[in-house]
Amino acid sequence: MLELKNIHKTYNPGTVRELCLFEDFSLAIEEESFVSVVGSNGSGKTSMLNIICGSIGVEKGKILIDGSDITYTKEHIRNKRIGRIYQNPALGSCANLTVLQNLCLFDAKNKRMNLTPYTDKKRIDTYKDMLSQLGLGLENMLSKRCGSLSGGQRQALALIMATMTDIDFLILDEHTAALDPKTSDVIMHLTEKLVRERKLTTIMVTHNLRYAVEYGDRLLMMHSGEIVLDAAGSAKGELSIDKLLGLFNEISIECGN
Amino acid sequence: MDILQAFINSVPSSIEQGLIYGILALGIYITYSILDFPDLSVDGTFPLGGVVSTAMLLRGINPIICLLGAMLAGALAGLATGLINVKLKVRDLFSGVIVMTGLYSINLRISDGNSLLTIPRNAVTLFRNNALADFLPAGTSSLIISLVIALFIKLLLDAFFSTRFGLLLRATGDNEQVVTSLARDKGNVKIWGLVIANSLVALSGGILCQQQRLFEASMGTGTLVLGLASVIIGTTLFRSANRDYSTLAVLIGAIIYKLCYTLAIVLGLKPGDMKLVTALLFLGILGIESLKKGGNKKHVRA
Amino acid sequence: MKKYRFFVVILVLIAVITNVSAKENYRIGIAQFAVHGSLDNCREGFIEGLAEHGFVEDKNITIEVQNAQSDMGLASQIADSFLATNYDLVCAIATPMAAICANTFDDKIPVIYCAVSDPSAAGLADENGKNIGKVTGTSDTLPIEDQLIMMRALLPEAKNLGLMYTVGEANSAVQVKMYEELAPKYGFDVVVTTVSNGSEIALAVPGLISKCDCISMVLDNTVVQYLDVLLEQADAAKIPVFGSEVEQVILGCVAAEGLDYIALGKHTGDMAAMVLKGEDANSIPYKVILDNKLYINTAKLEELNITVPKELLQRATIVD
Repeated sequence: MLELKNIHKTYNPGTVRELCLFEDFSLAIEEESFVSVVGSNGSGKTSMLNIICGSIGVEKGKILIDGSDITYTKEHIRNKRIGRIYQNPALGSCANLTVLQNLCLFDAKNKRMNLTPYTDKKRIDTYKDMLSQLGLGLENMLSKRCGSLSGGQRQALALIMATMTDIDFLILDEHTAALDPKTSDVIMHLTEKLVRERKLTTIMVTHNLRYAVEYGDRLLMMHSGEIVLDAAGSAKGELSIDKLLGLFNEISIECGN
Repeated sequence: MDILQAFINSVPSSIEQGLIYGILALGIYITYSILDFPDLSVDGTFPLGGVVSTAMLLRGINPIICLLGAMLAGALAGLATGLINVKLKVRDLFSGVIVMTGLYSINLRISDGNSLLTIPRNAVTLFRNNALADFLPAGTSSLIISLVIALFIKLLLDAFFSTRFGLLLRATGDNEQVVTSLARDKGNVKIWGLVIANSLVALSGGILCQQQRLFEASMGTGTLVLGLASVIIGTTLFRSANRDYSTLAVLIGAIIYKLCYTLAIVLGLKPGDMKLVTALLFLGILGIESLKKGGNKKHVRA
Repeated sequence: MKKYRFFVVILVLIAVITNVSAKENYRIGIAQFAVHGSLDNCREGFIEGLAEHGFVEDKNITIEVQNAQSDMGLASQIADSFLATNYDLVCAIATPMAAICANTFDDKIPVIYCAVSDPSAAGLADENGKNIGKVTGTSDTLPIEDQLIMMRALLPEAKNLGLMYTVGEANSAVQVKMYEELAPKYGFDVVVTTVSNGSEIALAVPGLISKCDCISMVLDNTVVQYLDVLLEQADAAKIPVFGSEVEQVILGCVAAEGLDYIALGKHTGDMAAMVLKGEDANSIPYKVILDNKLYINTAKLEELNITVPKELLQRATIVD
């Protein structure tokens, strides 16, 4: 269970651009739930992900995982049990290393990064199996530089690699936003499959209302650092894209858009 | 003696110099190419290795132990640069400059204030008065020993890059986000990279001092430029899509650089002009590289 | 029969002698470490010295000059290049160049050095002053005691003597130490300021000026390069600056007991000529040149209201 308790976050405190984003923000996420998060730009969706992962800190409040306080744990240590996919496919893999090298790196995430050779011939077949499931032909591109892969290919690879090792949380930050519709669908199918198979607690931030409605068992809509809609289970099932759009417009009009 | 003859006669010593400086270039390859960290401290680390090795040698210590001492000193210098950059959050350029400036005084302390230290003819160095040197034919022993050392270091480095940590180091220079996603501290990895690179730079300085039997306080000036030029010349000329020939390329780049200088001397170019030649060489190669690339590695094809 | 044999022997002897001594063309390399007035003078003096012994450029010798521009790496390559070109003799000007040439040539080419302050520290001679290998040359030491005597004669009242040098120029540190040893004998207290490079000199000068009555220059490459910066501020404060060689007095120092570097070069040329004529460089002991001349800048002396005693004026060379 992931809990955010009474989070206060201010950007650029004490300057002209000071912006108080979160004021006494709290959220609890059940184990193995798949949460979709939507909201306008600047509503705090990505900031919330950053706070959970530890990329940014908070002034007040606590972050707890299963009761343990990780508020001051460094990002890279939190990442041991977290897999994160970014909107920019380039952030999920090393461009100048080959597909195989990237796979070896992520495969060793929970092992010692010492002076043992990184290629394990026995694992190569396993990698090929994992990649062939994508149906993108990546299993034949092991020696290709990641930088020469397409956005969709790279994002798919990132997804495989992020979930390769034993993790508890999957953090998806608009991970299909930079992809064309067909590739986005492929990635979303893959996402759902992995989440189901590995029983991952998933938080997915997206601008795509269709995905938000179709995937996941809980939906949050955020606005100005607050949760304005929290639909879970059957309540979520009743939501439609039109209803969501309606809500969006309401909030926008309120703010004078 | 005509120019061609003079040049040909100078080739062996140029190659020897190129091989020794090639080790320095390998160190700069690690910081500049792999870590994407412009480490300016090398102008101080190179003579640091030289003075430590020479000071130890003059006290009768085994030449190989002297070189290990030089490497340790270089490692400490790299550690300093890394800590200043990562923990104190000082910009990479400035971290290197701070260490280089500090080393200037430290190097003079180690040499007891002398700007010149000479090693006597009968002293045991890596190049003279030892079993291997006496065994090899007189004219070429120095060149062969340099070749052996340079290749040894190259192979060691190749082996390192085939390890998990070596791969992690490469990842750090390519995409720090990945390193964090791998639940590793990117700062620590960077520091290790600086430690390894600077120990190679210092080793190169130590070897050079044993080869030329003297340490001179200003020997560090221009080593960053020399190293960068070697790396850039080598990696630009010897690109391969299939295998990574980088370490060999860098060594060859250093040799080519030294040969260019030798050619300039033999042609009678004024030494002042040689710096201009270096600048033009740099410009030419970097220009070609940039025109060829035309892209940014942080963006992805649609 | 006997007459014949005698005749043949004489002929052979003549042939041998003329072959040995009348080589067509000697090839000489001059390796200069830095671009510097005194070192340039050494080079000129060397060429003159050779000429005086019959070795004239473009007649029976070819000379190649290379300058390392204070870059040690370049100096090393120049030495390598000279070795590869197989010169008959190399003149190395200044300590770092002399050291690298000696080490690189390893007796394959004789080295005649010029302007090396401490040959044994540079590995060119052992502690007893004997040459190591086919190496010999001339050594210059600053006539510090003579300078102090002269300064005292010109400034009977001065107490504090200011010195500035660059950390890392070993020769400078040695000279400063000698000043510190000898100065008290002449009633001076030495005040020392150090800099680590030329750009610091402008900042360091005011501090030095405030603490002393006069300044003396040591042979420090960096400080000499920035002499005009020093003079500008010293003149404003009416502090006399004594130079270490003639060029500096021309520039504005009041006086100097200076080494004549052209003469130093000539002595070096003499030794080179001996080697070309067949002597082994190792057997020619290196020379420490002590002759110095007094150079004075009368305009500066007048500006600072310093009177020159008659004995000094008689032996002085006026350079302004």
